[in-house]
Amino acid sequence: MNAARRPWLLLALTGLLLVLIVTPVLVVTAGSVLNTSFLGLASEQWVGDGRDAEALFTTKWFGYVLSTYQPQLLMSVRLAVASVLGCIVLGVPAAYLLVRGQFPGRRFLEELVMLPLALPGIVVSIALIQAYLPIRGSWWFVLLGHLLYTLPFMVRSVASAMRSFDVAALERAAESLGASRWQRFWFVVVPNLRHSVTLGSLLVFAVSFGEFNVSYLLCTPLTATFPNALYATYTFNSFQVSSAATVIFLAVILPVLALIQWLGGDELKVEQGA
Amino acid sequence: MNSELVQTAAPASAREAAPALSARECERSSRAALTLRVLAPALGAAALTALFFALLVWPLLCLLLGSLREGNTGDGAFTWENYRTFFGSRRMLGALWSSVWISLLVAFLSVALCLGPAWLLVRYRFPGKRVVRALFTLPMSFSGILIGFLSVIMLGRIGAVPQFAEWLTGTPWLSGFAYQLGGVLLAYFYFEIPRATLALEAALRKLDGRLESAARSLGASSGQIFRWVVFPQILPALLSTFALTFCVSLGSFGVVLIVSKRFTLLPLEIFQQIIASNRFPLAAAMSVVLLALALLVTLGSRWLVERFQPPVPSAR
Repeated sequence: MNAARRPWLLLALTGLLLVLIVTPVLVVTAGSVLNTSFLGLASEQWVGDGRDAEALFTTKWFGYVLSTYQPQLLMSVRLAVASVLGCIVLGVPAAYLLVRGQFPGRRFLEELVMLPLALPGIVVSIALIQAYLPIRGSWWFVLLGHLLYTLPFMVRSVASAMRSFDVAALERAAESLGASRWQRFWFVVVPNLRHSVTLGSLLVFAVSFGEFNVSYLLCTPLTATFPNALYATYTFNSFQVSSAATVIFLAVILPVLALIQWLGGDELKVEQGA
Repeated sequence: MNSELVQTAAPASAREAAPALSARECERSSRAALTLRVLAPALGAAALTALFFALLVWPLLCLLLGSLREGNTGDGAFTWENYRTFFGSRRMLGALWSSVWISLLVAFLSVALCLGPAWLLVRYRFPGKRVVRALFTLPMSFSGILIGFLSVIMLGRIGAVPQFAEWLTGTPWLSGFAYQLGGVLLAYFYFEIPRATLALEAALRKLDGRLESAARSLGASSGQIFRWVVFPQILPALLSTFALTFCVSLGSFGVVLIVSKRFTLLPLEIFQQIIASNRFPLAAAMSVVLLALALLVTLGSRWLVERFQPPVPSAR
């Protein structure tokens, strides 16, 4: 590649896509605090005609959303945190097993763990409901669906770290220096995995918090998640309330995504359903 | 279970050393060590397999069986009726067909357009690159409904773009575009951007730049280099990214749930069968069709990827 020549076409295309990505986010943010009909849907809660300076800027819709949809927001946070914990407890040993283990069917098991990413979320949710109808009302049920779709991210993150730093060689070195099994685990394996587990956890949080396809059918009104609340505001509420709810969602998810990038999202790959 | 699995890291040296020990020494060596080396991985593998059978394989089997039964309870008589209803319904076949070609179109667009930013991110250094990269991953955890909503506020009947256009030119251009085919394609493309860009970027990073330099020094033009040097190398990645974006689009229903006015897609039909009609067996049959299609594309793309894997350059 000729470094001196500027890739105008690539820059233009990238710029265009950036505008496409960012503009709606800015518009929805503006719409959540402005009492105006300029942006989008007509609103029954539209206050004044824009000349009333006091009514032009408002944050009251945030208060409305936070009070009305608090249970859903808390449920989503709880599910996301539980998914992270579950993925650490299940995913780290699973990755260890899949990378280091030598047993028949290892490849098959790896395929099985990664399989949910290739399956439409709505199909898996219907399958889960058919198989476990009696426990549908519990939030554990929703958690199972989330774990299914988040575990691959943790396993892949940890497994790729394990493949790259050659845990076996380091462990052998530690063993030759007289380290016991537990010492090797705590002082050799764990410190080397900290980064990938952190990255995996953030990914799991982001995926779980934004998940709609699987959760929507798994949820009952009592276990509804925040994306369900978003759908409810889009269907029943005014444009301002919907925008405020969207901005609250973004306020949770954007720092997580930024952190993922900052910590090294270079090896990032996402393929979960939208 | 956690600690046991972790202990399975039997160092290679220990494993290799084991046969050298005499049988008696082996017997004397603590039973715990044997347990950890042999039993723990087996137990771990068994536990993980059991978990995924319970969470994935068994439910999918129930789905398949449920689609072949009468009634909602899953213990009705065996019947092909649900599939007959599906393949006999013009509306549902239409939904299947729309799903397939919209997903194909979106996948093609995503691969073609996201190759640009992916190339830029891999091959060039520029100020603010990290921010650009971060922004490209932004739509990754936006669900379909959120993107549908964004589409409506931007391109709805009184969305931001038409209103801006009206203020500028007097005509509300693109008013209601969100509800048209183009708007749906754009919304689908929106959530494919991070998926396609990141997948292509990972593939481009492995590209050997020296091959391009060699081709250039031999007098090849940029077009020739792309056609004969770069393209064969990235073809597997293009195929797998195409399959990935196709499958994501195929299973997505959030966007059309918000903007569906004119047409319907298969996952939305499934959703409606459950929410509006509570017809689980029919929804199960439709799900099986959708599932089969997704798996077919995933496996097919893998087969193609293996076929088109370029030979490793011997000069490396």
